[in-house]
Amino acid sequence: MKKMIPSTLPAALVALAAGSFCAPTAARADDVPANSIRVGMYAIFYHVTSSGIQGQYIPPGVSLDLKDAQTPYFGYIRRLNSKFDVELAFGVPPNTKTIGRGPATVGSVPFNGQTIATAKWLAPSVLLEYKFLSESSKFQPYIGVGVNYTSFYDRKVTAIGQQGAGGPSRLSLTSSVGPVGTVGLKYQLATHWHLNVSYSISRVDSDIKLQTADVVRTAKVHFGPQALVVAAGYAF
Amino acid sequence: MKRFRSALGAMASAIVLAACGGSNTDTAPTNDSTVHGTLVENPPLRIASVDAAAFQAQLASTASGQQLLQLTGNPSCGVDFYYLKFYTLGAANETTESSGALMVPTGAAGSCSGPRPIVLYAHGTQTLQTINIADITNSANTEGALIAAMFAAQGFIVVAPNYAGYDISTLGYHPFLDAAQQSGEMMDILTAARAGLPKTFAASTTDSGQLLITGYSEGGHVAMATLRAMQAAGAKVTAAAPMSGPYALEAFGDAIFFGNVNLGSTAFAPLLTTSYQHAYNNIYSATTDVYSSTYAAGIDKLLPSATPIDALFQSGKLPQTALFDSTTPVVPGSAALTALLAVPSDPNNPQTPLFDLGFGNPYLVNNDYRVSYAVDAASNPDGALANPPLAGAPLAAKAPTQTLRNAFYLNDMRNGNWAPMAPTLLCGGDQDPTVFFSLNTEVMASFWSAEVSAGLIMVLDVGATPAGPFAAVQAGFQTSQAQLLAFYESAAGGSLPPAQAAQQLVEGYHTNVAPFCSLAARAFFTTVLQGPQP
Repeated sequence: MKKMIPSTLPAALVALAAGSFCAPTAARADDVPANSIRVGMYAIFYHVTSSGIQGQYIPPGVSLDLKDAQTPYFGYIRRLNSKFDVELAFGVPPNTKTIGRGPATVGSVPFNGQTIATAKWLAPSVLLEYKFLSESSKFQPYIGVGVNYTSFYDRKVTAIGQQGAGGPSRLSLTSSVGPVGTVGLKYQLATHWHLNVSYSISRVDSDIKLQTADVVRTAKVHFGPQALVVAAGYAF
Repeated sequence: MKRFRSALGAMASAIVLAACGGSNTDTAPTNDSTVHGTLVENPPLRIASVDAAAFQAQLASTASGQQLLQLTGNPSCGVDFYYLKFYTLGAANETTESSGALMVPTGAAGSCSGPRPIVLYAHGTQTLQTINIADITNSANTEGALIAAMFAAQGFIVVAPNYAGYDISTLGYHPFLDAAQQSGEMMDILTAARAGLPKTFAASTTDSGQLLITGYSEGGHVAMATLRAMQAAGAKVTAAAPMSGPYALEAFGDAIFFGNVNLGSTAFAPLLTTSYQHAYNNIYSATTDVYSSTYAAGIDKLLPSATPIDALFQSGKLPQTALFDSTTPVVPGSAALTALLAVPSDPNNPQTPLFDLGFGNPYLVNNDYRVSYAVDAASNPDGALANPPLAGAPLAAKAPTQTLRNAFYLNDMRNGNWAPMAPTLLCGGDQDPTVFFSLNTEVMASFWSAEVSAGLIMVLDVGATPAGPFAAVQAGFQTSQAQLLAFYESAAGGSLPPAQAAQQLVEGYHTNVAPFCSLAARAFFTTVLQGPQP
């Protein structure tokens, strides 16, 4: 893991969460449920910047992008007190398409805009969230900060990707830990039910390695994924 | 609290399962066998793929590419460039990895897919160790571009090794003009390419079984040695076209040691002695046995080099042209032989200025070594250089005792009691200052005079008066030379005085012949393929 967030942040989150989980239940208001779950949809906008693909037999100006994705969202929220919650959020790992960016063709192989690889993207986040208004308010805006862990699996190079790379290829992407921030708005429908909208930004750095025969091509990619979540929640 | 822990545990389990449940596409399988002829990775890596229009546009984007297109014609096929890595044997039968190119024609035209003939091509001498003839993305790979445009883009599958000692090969030396090793490597890459071809992206292009062998300069010798080796092995060869090769190595070597020093000799010498030392282990006990003290240190590991040859000259690792001492060595008891070692001074020989470039101080080969070679050559002359020359230009009557001359004898293409059984074209240029046409191509033509008379072997001198089936090639070459001379004398070419312009032309002659002989080879192959096939 090349890119680490300041070590104090996860430690503070763990301390806060641990302190809350271990605190006597009598410390919280009896009429506010301690746990919530949410189900909804993520719309993910990846915002990729890349160093470009480096390696043998690669023409200049060849780079990568990711196709934006939508995927079901799940969240578990633990109330710490009247001002703070902890949220564990994740989506069903979307099958993310890596798109070629650069010349229309590499040699005679179509490149720009072509899906050259796919990978599933597992990216759970833990956030400490601050609520601005009273818990009795219908509208409850909040902000949060936390940590995102991203790993990739089911990595596949498409047929056109193999054509561009020059043969059967192995794709690897390093996992990433990075900060995540969110702003959200919760709308209380009933005692147990609410609607939630949030917008999150995180940072993911990954080193991509594409190996074809024994030739390795690499690219450093920086994602600034932004996720719009619309969800329904149930408190218990 | 219990419910919370259950929910968190379920999520964590889901995450872990998701992370572990994936799969990944993989690279081509690597072959565990290191038996020579084995392709290391199959399918091999495709470095580039261009269709006919893109290849034409790519060539047309440079002046040299435009000239090449004028010769080759516009591509009728696309070309896929594959990088072959295969196992072969070194000069001492060491297993080593080597590499090369497989160029596969592609496209809808009938001449671009289906069963296609293979051109097995051997490249010319390279001093740069990093050469990769498959890498068409490298603009310095002019020979790769030539054979791609000349053959692959016209529907021939091309197979060409980089040679052991180059590129990825860790052999540590190059078996230069080692007939047994280089012909073996040619057959190994052919075996590897035939294994890889069906697994390429262009699997609809298949091997027709027709095999055409060619190569230029060093590769001309390699091509001829490969023809001999394949015939001996009973393998099918459809036709061959060795070009500008040092075939008659003994005669060629004798002429050089007697003062007819060729251009490039100071690079060829260390390649030769290193190669034959590895093959026969008798060329020297120490490099000072052969080389002057100025250059002996490290010369056995000098070439091929990752450093460009010009930089080696500038850093004093090699003299640019001075192969021999400008002070004539004395051969004890033989004034006649001493005279034969003098710096050439015949004013009536137009090549005298060229030969004289081979003498100087500091010089590469020490005098004692030169004398030992000359004594052997004088006492046991090559038939082509005997006075008078012997009919059929045979090798020396017996194996030489001087070890380098014996290595030349062993690798001379007159050795082995053989002649081509497939139609063969020997192409070159009569003014070649690097590989002398008369001492190589014409010597082989004399040696195989029966096959020449029967029409099985054709000899083409691109510098001769245009006539016969290759008249257009000859005329084209001569026009090209005249244009080049005019260019050197023009402002764009540096406004060289006539003598310097002519010298410039001489220095480029060997290289300039290559595309014209390749064009002749293609025409020859096409004619053979159109004729009755066994």
